[in-house]
Amino acid sequence: MILGWLRLFVMAAVVLTAVYWIVVIYARSVRRETLEKRWDAGEGTGEREHFVEAGMADYEKGLKRRLLWLVYILPGIVFAVLIYVVNYQ
Amino acid sequence: MRYLKWGFWATLALLVFAFLHYTLPQRDIVRIVGAESRRIDFGENSIFWARPETGMAVDGSRDVFFIRAIRENGRAIEYRNEDTGWGWPPYFKINSSTLQTEATNLISNSATPQWVAITHYGWRNNLFTIFPNAVRVRALADPSVTLIPWVNIIILTILAALLFMLRRMWLQFRERTIDPALDGMGDAFDRADARADVARANARTSWGRFRAWLAGLFAR
Repeated sequence: MILGWLRLFVMAAVVLTAVYWIVVIYARSVRRETLEKRWDAGEGTGEREHFVEAGMADYEKGLKRRLLWLVYILPGIVFAVLIYVVNYQ
Repeated sequence: MRYLKWGFWATLALLVFAFLHYTLPQRDIVRIVGAESRRIDFGENSIFWARPETGMAVDGSRDVFFIRAIRENGRAIEYRNEDTGWGWPPYFKINSSTLQTEATNLISNSATPQWVAITHYGWRNNLFTIFPNAVRVRALADPSVTLIPWVNIIILTILAALLFMLRRMWLQFRERTIDPALDGMGDAFDRADARADVARANARTSWGRFRAWLAGLFAR
């Protein structure tokens, strides 16, 4: 129990990492589908596969991809706010 | 079969509801009449108790703070006041001593009642001797105030959004990963299906069943 916070953090790290990767895979899949549909609608240039891969490479560097780190950040903020509101207010 | 299906979903819904009802915070409007601590030896009901204060040793028996109160309708209610610490449910409550002091400060008698809103989770049950765990007390000027459960509204909305996202993810996974893989297998299934149709037609007659049984003997 003395190391209860350690157990909490290890469990949270494991669970959130699983959630993070599931969300990453899902977001990638949605992005790829959007790019494919865009090419099919005639908005893309060049070969379909090349267009999609180039779009995916841009996505991996973009802001939307980095926003997925919120999976870790938001629960951390909730944790801090809860401790403050429940105990020190 | 239909009753079994409905029974399964009804049981699941009941379990989820009970779990949420136990875990989510509720507020009672009460008048505190006593606050004390007493030695508790945990038995079969130990799952309904939290844990020693953060940083303290674990034991099968310890002192627990209690808050006794009278509700607006005159009925009695008792709360325990325990740290939830770093465990479940995730209230991260570590101030049970402070809360006990605040509760003691708000004790009043029936002649000059001081009404308080007491936030808690859990159930009171005499049969199993379980108590709701008080999380917060707040003095009220007027007991007829309407308390809107914003916290529960937010939590349930987030839960619903998560469920919706989970469904979206599953559908995306099925559309993009499972279905393409199954398409390749579709032809094989069609062929197996045709064979199964023949076997099913044969099995309708006793002669066909006998032949299938005989064929099964030699197939081994």
